Amino acid sequence: MSDQPATTRRGRLTSIFLFVVIVVSAIGYLVGLSDGVPKPDGIPGGAIASVAEASDHDTSGKIVAAVNYAEIPATAMGPTAAFQSKPAALPQPPEYDLFTKIEPREADKAESSRIRSSRRAYNGAPPIIPHAVENTSDAACYACHGGGIQMAGMKASVMSHDYLANCTQCHAPPPPAPFQDVPHEVDNRFVGLAAPQAGKRAYPGAPPTIPHSQWMRESCSACHGGPNGWAGMESTHPWRTNCTQCHAPSAVLDQAIPAKTIPMLPPLDVAVK
Amino acid sequence: MDSKRRGFLKSAAMAAAGSMVLGDATFSLPVLGAADAPTDGDALTWNKAPCRFCGTGCHVQVGVHEGRVVAVAGDKAADVNKGLLCVKGYHVGGILYGEDRLTKPLLRKDGKLVPIEWDEAIDIIAKRIMDAPEKFAFYGSGQWTIPEGYAAQKLMKGGLSNNHIDPNARLCMASAVTGFLATYGVDEPAGCYADLDACDVLITWGNNPAEMHPVLFSRVTDRRSRGEKVRIIDISTRRTRTTDAANDYLEMDPHGDVAIALGIMNQLIESNSYDKDFVEKHCAFRSPESESPTLQGQAISEDEFRKRIAAYTPERVEELSGVPADQIRMLGKLFGQRDLRITSLWCMGMNQHTMGTAINSLVHGVHLLSGHFGRPGDAPTSLTGQPSACGTVREVGTLAHALPGGRLVAKPDHRAQCEGFWNLPAGRINATPGYHTVKMFDQFTLPTDEGGDINTLFVQVTNPGQTLPNLNKLFNDKEKLKDKFLIVSEVYPTATTQLADLILPAALWVEKNGIYGNSERRTQQWFKMVDPPGEARDDTWMTIAIAHRLLELGHEGMKDKDGEFIFAVKDDQGQEIPIWEFEHYYDTNVDKHLFEEYRQFTTMKHKNLAPYDEYVKARGLRWPVVQQDDGSWRETKFRFAGFDDPFVAEGKEFDFYHSTSGDGRAQIWFHDYQPPPEVPDEEYPMWLCTGRVLEHWHTGTMTRRLPQLNRAMPTAYVEMNLQDALAQNIRQGETVLIESRRGTTELPVWIDGRGRPPRGTVFVPFFDETKLINNCTLDEHDPFSKQPDYKKCAVRVRKLNEASS
Repeated sequence: MSDQPATTRRGRLTSIFLFVVIVVSAIGYLVGLSDGVPKPDGIPGGAIASVAEASDHDTSGKIVAAVNYAEIPATAMGPTAAFQSKPAALPQPPEYDLFTKIEPREADKAESSRIRSSRRAYNGAPPIIPHAVENTSDAACYACHGGGIQMAGMKASVMSHDYLANCTQCHAPPPPAPFQDVPHEVDNRFVGLAAPQAGKRAYPGAPPTIPHSQWMRESCSACHGGPNGWAGMESTHPWRTNCTQCHAPSAVLDQAIPAKTIPMLPPLDVAVK
Repeated sequence: MDSKRRGFLKSAAMAAAGSMVLGDATFSLPVLGAADAPTDGDALTWNKAPCRFCGTGCHVQVGVHEGRVVAVAGDKAADVNKGLLCVKGYHVGGILYGEDRLTKPLLRKDGKLVPIEWDEAIDIIAKRIMDAPEKFAFYGSGQWTIPEGYAAQKLMKGGLSNNHIDPNARLCMASAVTGFLATYGVDEPAGCYADLDACDVLITWGNNPAEMHPVLFSRVTDRRSRGEKVRIIDISTRRTRTTDAANDYLEMDPHGDVAIALGIMNQLIESNSYDKDFVEKHCAFRSPESESPTLQGQAISEDEFRKRIAAYTPERVEELSGVPADQIRMLGKLFGQRDLRITSLWCMGMNQHTMGTAINSLVHGVHLLSGHFGRPGDAPTSLTGQPSACGTVREVGTLAHALPGGRLVAKPDHRAQCEGFWNLPAGRINATPGYHTVKMFDQFTLPTDEGGDINTLFVQVTNPGQTLPNLNKLFNDKEKLKDKFLIVSEVYPTATTQLADLILPAALWVEKNGIYGNSERRTQQWFKMVDPPGEARDDTWMTIAIAHRLLELGHEGMKDKDGEFIFAVKDDQGQEIPIWEFEHYYDTNVDKHLFEEYRQFTTMKHKNLAPYDEYVKARGLRWPVVQQDDGSWRETKFRFAGFDDPFVAEGKEFDFYHSTSGDGRAQIWFHDYQPPPEVPDEEYPMWLCTGRVLEHWHTGTMTRRLPQLNRAMPTAYVEMNLQDALAQNIRQGETVLIESRRGTTELPVWIDGRGRPPRGTVFVPFFDETKLINNCTLDEHDPFSKQPDYKKCAVRVRKLNEASS
């Protein structure tokens, strides 16, 4: 009889102990989860997840009622009504108006530059892929990066070059899913060419020259205009369609002229009296 | 590494380079790295160089600022890559700046590496050679520049009368060489990359160019994006990214390629759709002798060929290869269509094969028999994996049995010619072929008292401690043998330097002058653009310095027959320039001197090269390069074809002018199918295939030091089929033990990863020095080329807890 209370206490202690173990492991699991997922710059976490969580409470149309075999051909399949409504529930960017007055902000440009350079070994290097991909086809890349897309505070930038097959030939993906936690940092003292801050102007108000190569950046509006360009780098006049009419490219950077100096006719032979 | 530390490293590195670059005051915005990185692209010095990595031979433009490489761009003027690169090429500049570059000669004393001076290092090597010249071996590389390989070749065969020189390319493309020799009597592809722009059908034979030669592969798939129709047929032992782009996927069993090629020829004969006119005018038939077969084989009649090929019906081929008979008929029909242009591509799948010579010859045979040869887009095209496997190994002939320009040590007239070019006394060159790679390492790791007769081995520009097959047999034993001396010239610590007795720090890529030769016969030159770090020096210089020290020690072989140093270079006044002293090495362009000397060797096999200065101007030129009446130099795109090859006699449509039958004909070979040397059984039930991934090159010693590439592929892995993993209760990412009869390695599992192997097959990339899959591979090799088979052996996969119990 005397060890009865002791057993109860032990039982209670065991329950408390188990409870603590479960809580700790659950927290540990969640911490572990968040640790293992890399967070590249410029990819806000949680935007999509929070929308998804919020709409989980709305269960209308989420459950698809089972139908008998005879009714299958007449039954609508595919995404449920709840799922179909999700994209609409995401915050939408304002409708793009080509003629909105643009006033590029220096702070935006700084932030855009920071994000861009965090994805490149040097200015001109193809950016690495900052988000998860797993054996993705070219079509999948093109779906978002062909024309750019904005959703839930995330932005897929526009391909600045023509359609090229085999995207991962040039753009390095993040580690494959099973190896995300493998340490991959290596020390390298390579110092890359930084992105130019602005083109050169002949005088205040003159159109700036193009300070980077145009190769693989044939589409100016991919970065400098349109709804999916880089904040702070937008053209103030995106309706103008012939960029090089006013902005001079660099023959050196475009690998256009092999000559070291620009060939000129000899100076005029003016007789001196 | 946090960004503060990275920033510090960058500043420190820039300071070390001799200057701090100040941000331009007119720039108002701070960006990452703005304080220490140049921002004005126009202010850089740009110069051309071939990419350091694979055999494709892309040209890059290298942007240099204040003595450091800071940017890279695809070279728009380069015909190979037309301004594009792959992810390795775009980041190639970073290979110079890994934190652990070797900068000082290191000697192992009582098990510890201690820094020594270069003079002492050269002395140690020269004395070891002097003690026993015949026990010295030189192991080189398809990453050697042409002058590096040529200098090593001359030191060994011309100076030391020692033929124990062989390159890592033996492990990579030796069977491609023997396939070309057996078929055309002369090495290297007849076509070029322009075939990829013209083909209607592209067949990849055990080849994954979407990852391994991406610039060439997207050259084809980009044609599709532009609206052209190209049918891609992938014949492979597993699904890859190439399969993703393919119209047809034919999954074969290992060694099935041999049966498939025979099956196609069977169908061409059966349906009478082979190119009778082409075969009658330009081909002959051949098979190996039944007793002690040779590379030359014996002539057989067309009837005899028909009789033998008749056995390889589509149904029999299905049994041997696993590819359905209908698909074999489909391939037969395809090759029977004369109006299509068909290009075959292959690389290691066919070369690392115990029937490597046979399958190479058979695929050439398929193209010859069907007449899909010699028109743009109709080509059997063998790719190489290293940047100068063709230029330095195959053309300079840095192989145990070869001499420069397609010559053989066994042929007296060839030896005499080389002695003539080198101005050596008659009889200097040894007539007995040296040890090929597998044999060389066998002898080096065999104790001296058991007959191991190589005691000093010099390794340049490669990493045999990771790439040799069956490492436990061929490399790891070295550690116990105290009288064996391993010298390694390297840029970073590797699996090979781990066992090295003497480590020499080497200059890398644009830290030196160089010349490479790519897969399409293109010879490419570049100039030194930046200084190597610390005391790192050129590999050519090392070879010449050793030779000169041997001369000082009194080695007669270091003199030509007039008593001059064999590497003597003289200035305009006739004074010898002391190029063996590194401070004088760049007083002249040693590369140019060696190249001009080497050029003389190239005309015998009609692989004529232009003078050095022509290559300075060009983005490479494809040999034969011949001078035209107006003095200009013209390259050749399509060899043996009358419309382009200057050596085809006037009026002839085709001319195989190095034909082994001596009558201008190419040989269509018959080889019987033979099973692989080791097949899965109860004990070791899985096939193991090894290979590469897009982001890493060779043994990863360079690419694994690039953050962008290492992020993309941080570890080697074993690729498994989902059903196989389920059957063994193996989970995604779990570390397992791969075991073969020869060794083991631990690897994380990637179920249905980037490639998707069928049931019973696993795939492992070999780039990771911490997970050496070559502990498991076979050293069985092709009888003619001596190239080992890395693509198939039997293994088992075990869970770690089971393996330890």
